[in-house]
Amino acid sequence: MVLELQKPRPIWQIMFSTHHTDVGLLYLIMSLGFLFLGGALALAIRAELFLPGAQIIGDAMTFNRIFTVHGTTLIFLFIIPFASAVGNYFVPIMVRYKDMAYPKLNAIAFWMIPPSGALIWLGFADFTWYATPPYSIISAPGPAADMWIFGLKILGISSVLGSINFVVTILKCKHPDMSIGQVPLLAWSFLSSSLIILVAIPTFAAALLMLLTDRLGVTGFFNPAMGGDPIAYAHLFWFTFHPEVYVLVIPAIGMMYEIIPRFSRKPIHSYGSGIFAFVLLSIVGFSSWAHHMYATGMSFTEKTVFMVGTLAAVPASALHVFNFVATMWNGRIRFSTPMMWAVGGIALFFSAGAGGVANAAMPLDFTTHDTYWVVGHFHLFVMGTIAFGSIGYLYYMYPYVTGRMYNEAMGKVHFVMSFIGTVLVFFTQHVLGLYGMPRRIFDYPPIPEWIAMNQIASIGAMIIGVSMVIFLVNMVYSSGKGKPANPEDPFGVGGKYYYPFEAKNPSH
Amino acid sequence: MKTLVGLFLVLAVLVIVPAVEYAFAAGAEPGEYLDRRVVIWNLFFRMMTIAFVVGAVVSGTIIWQVWRFRESHPKAKPTPYEGTDW
Repeated sequence: MVLELQKPRPIWQIMFSTHHTDVGLLYLIMSLGFLFLGGALALAIRAELFLPGAQIIGDAMTFNRIFTVHGTTLIFLFIIPFASAVGNYFVPIMVRYKDMAYPKLNAIAFWMIPPSGALIWLGFADFTWYATPPYSIISAPGPAADMWIFGLKILGISSVLGSINFVVTILKCKHPDMSIGQVPLLAWSFLSSSLIILVAIPTFAAALLMLLTDRLGVTGFFNPAMGGDPIAYAHLFWFTFHPEVYVLVIPAIGMMYEIIPRFSRKPIHSYGSGIFAFVLLSIVGFSSWAHHMYATGMSFTEKTVFMVGTLAAVPASALHVFNFVATMWNGRIRFSTPMMWAVGGIALFFSAGAGGVANAAMPLDFTTHDTYWVVGHFHLFVMGTIAFGSIGYLYYMYPYVTGRMYNEAMGKVHFVMSFIGTVLVFFTQHVLGLYGMPRRIFDYPPIPEWIAMNQIASIGAMIIGVSMVIFLVNMVYSSGKGKPANPEDPFGVGGKYYYPFEAKNPSH
Repeated sequence: MKTLVGLFLVLAVLVIVPAVEYAFAAGAEPGEYLDRRVVIWNLFFRMMTIAFVVGAVVSGTIIWQVWRFRESHPKAKPTPYEGTDW
């Protein structure tokens, strides 16, 4: 049994290990660290917007820096590394292999992330997580912008290395007795998202290089003054980052596929439709990137094509939801903390998806473009679905990682407060967008409706903030003082867990 | 589940294909752009109606089953898989 915190080892032994559970633990701790850092920035943003006028941040430039680093941190340094943590822990076990296919490459992929996180945080760029050109080329202050570009470049390489490892581990290292049709859905989710990364990331890697050379004045790809076109950057960026949304959401859905059958005390209703939906999402994720650019003068035909391409994701997403509903049907559901997070995640996934359907249609998109509707929609996906699935899975894997149980009551309070806070913040932001409030603004006119809705959203954010403090206390305290977990069945629901009890800790 | 998938695909074809055909039925002559806008708004409203109806049904189902299939419900009974190594 591998119980890192129960069986203490010198920290350097874990840090320099290449074993998949050790690398998984490093990913886990680092991603949670960045969750709290990025979350603190979110609270600063919401505190600033509580009332019109400068409140706590002082000036627009600092505000821009804060939301740029907030977005970059939570997407690239929390969500993706957290998924890697889960994948590192569980994928080798699920395909019945001793480790990842390339353990050293795996450790290298992890160790590329802290320097890139340092570049992003020490630079503290101000040009949004989209690195908006031509501002990012012409006047974004250096070296912050350049540090951000290098940070993202390193993160991209790390993602590609990690993805190669997952693909090879799943396809080439799975047990000979195991067909690809028997690989658990969580591992399938990693296969799907890794393939998306391998296809999508090189485009953004090229765009980053072009952005850098533009900043150096060598080229003018995206610089209108030199004949370039910022819209070209938008295409390159969204060709990578719309599929990237699925890279974020697919592993979270995979995690729900582990939790929901377990706590419903029955197998997943339809394994085949889960695989089908993952593969379908991976493909249609590439048919919708230009829906981010309806307002840039595209032709009607182009817009219609991308609208239909976007809507093609609906059946695939609905398949997952129907699968979860059918799995819970006739179950005997234990609402332990992981299950509460998973079911809450499904409900918010559906709400976020409904907002996406509305957003995909051109008429509404023109109304909501660059408003708080978009902020609400995106965050409802990222927080309501991806973070909910991830945090639920963290509670699920907690007994395995620490050998101890977390405090169940605190876990449930964490969920309830986060659910209420999420609804308050992000549902309200949808309405705020329909009332016309633009996104990415430091100050706003004292319109009574805007003030009221901003205050509701800020209060919701504070509720989430308090719940995250409870979460942190629970995690830290329980890892040392929690009740010892029953390693065979920590949640008392029976069945066969994919817990790596038999994983050994050899040095590779 | 296969029936559900089949039903969903049939509905998707019935809704999306005619709508796209309508959208492209208008020619490229000047003045017809407005017609397309009307068509696309029409498509939008139909999609939203479907999204909200399906959303209400699914959300209602989730809320009901969370209440009905919880282990503390008086009618809760063990699943056929309990006690096995499923």
